[in-house]
Amino acid sequence: MFEPEVNPENIKKAAFVVAIPSYNEADSIAFPVQQADQGIQLFFGNMESAIINCDNNSNDGTKEVFLGIKTRTPKIYLSTEPGIRGKGNNFRNLFKKVVDLHAKAVVVVDADLKSITPKWIRHLGEPLFQDFGYVVPLYVRHKYDGTITNSIAYPLIRSLYGRRVRQPIGGDFGFCGKLARTYFHSDTWSDGVANFGIDVWMTTLAMNENIPICQAFMGRPKIHRPKDPGSDLGPMFRQVVGTIFDMMIKFYPFWSQVKWSKPTAIFGFGLGETEMPPPVAVNDEILFRKFQGGFSTYGHIWETVLSKETVGKLREIREMDQERFDFPTHLWINVLIDFAVAYKDRLWSGDELLDSLVPLYLGKTLSYVKKTERMSIGESEEFIEEECIQFEASKGVLIQRWNEKPTA
Amino acid sequence: MAKLLVVDDEEHIRLLYSEELSEAGYEVITAADGYKLMERIDEERPDLVILDIKMADYNGLDLLQEIRSKFYNLPVILCTAYDTFKEDIKSVAADFYVIKSFDLTELKKKIAMALEANIPSS
Repeated sequence: MFEPEVNPENIKKAAFVVAIPSYNEADSIAFPVQQADQGIQLFFGNMESAIINCDNNSNDGTKEVFLGIKTRTPKIYLSTEPGIRGKGNNFRNLFKKVVDLHAKAVVVVDADLKSITPKWIRHLGEPLFQDFGYVVPLYVRHKYDGTITNSIAYPLIRSLYGRRVRQPIGGDFGFCGKLARTYFHSDTWSDGVANFGIDVWMTTLAMNENIPICQAFMGRPKIHRPKDPGSDLGPMFRQVVGTIFDMMIKFYPFWSQVKWSKPTAIFGFGLGETEMPPPVAVNDEILFRKFQGGFSTYGHIWETVLSKETVGKLREIREMDQERFDFPTHLWINVLIDFAVAYKDRLWSGDELLDSLVPLYLGKTLSYVKKTERMSIGESEEFIEEECIQFEASKGVLIQRWNEKPTA
Repeated sequence: MAKLLVVDDEEHIRLLYSEELSEAGYEVITAADGYKLMERIDEERPDLVILDIKMADYNGLDLLQEIRSKFYNLPVILCTAYDTFKEDIKSVAADFYVIKSFDLTELKKKIAMALEANIPSS
């Protein structure tokens, strides 16, 4: 029998909540729950707390595993209705529950995390009891892990909203009770947000609310299930990038006033030696082939979306062989600006348009891989910082293009 | 006129920055170390802080954390002779990281960017 909530200890109030969203995570959820429990007992032991599993009615026994784990912290299981999927839908249940519980601070961690320690709970939670309302993780990632973050989410969010948050779609967060209410009542919910767009939506709303943001250094790399950037991106790309573009439409009055960017505070030191992340394999050949293939599949869309100069430049780099391939940063910025404007002007359906951006993104990723292949993680970070400054410097062009009348 | 606070334990650096940045149109005040720096910032209300990292009795990166927690939006430029501190995660809380040089072109560029940076209130 379906139960939307199981609350064995009938918890009605919790100042501190650790939440773990899931769908079919029976084989992995035990570890983050145990680490969360230890973290709560060690660092927030004097508070009324709860661990919440917000689930998509998994059919692999996630609920039974979660409720069966022995913890000192009370547990609550929440589920979406049968047939309703999506990480964002799980979060929507969570927002309502933490508002009902009068939570002051909420920490969310992924259910497939293998590198989480009790200190992660402290680092994501403690700033919320100081002056901060939103905490994002800062972990050392392999230079090829998180390429959507590196090429799109980080530079775009930073240049749009002016706050340097290195992992705006990190999956692990902390947010205050006030922000939970903002999320719950927001009128910006969409299908993308209900799924993988939820992370970037939360970060964007926090920035637009001018909530003080802190980046928490986690000391260990995020080890979960890294993906080859050339492998199937699936709907995730559409949902994340579509949500960024949707937010751009909604929050134009805010971001059009933002100039350059500002850092955030940093929390979490004294963790000893920083662990290096495991390598991520990238298949250059697939990236190159998919970029090339984009011309025949999506050329007709690009012709209507991109400026003549940009199409000309894309043809130019198409002629390069794989060894010399380069997708210059300014070209990538122009592509993203034109796509954001086309999305606003609804020149194509959102899905068609976003699917047509994928081969270009893969081309940019190949270029990034080639340029950074001999770089250390630190050097590749500097490379990304330089790209971000170019994004910020292009803000005027974006605003001008945004306000032009659609031509197609 | 924007007011800049230069925190550096080397006197010749404080003099050089004072002269050059004053000529560039800024009001410049200086501090030789981090002693009572938060009180100084509170009293003087500078628009931007130029902060050395390796000082005799103070670590600029620790001071930066203190500044960021008390004055969240105050621009801080780390200005150091050493490239290696860039690897320290604490340096992320600075607006910019500039390597010390007698040619202040890069520093002036970064000062202008940091002062221009704007995030509107929601």
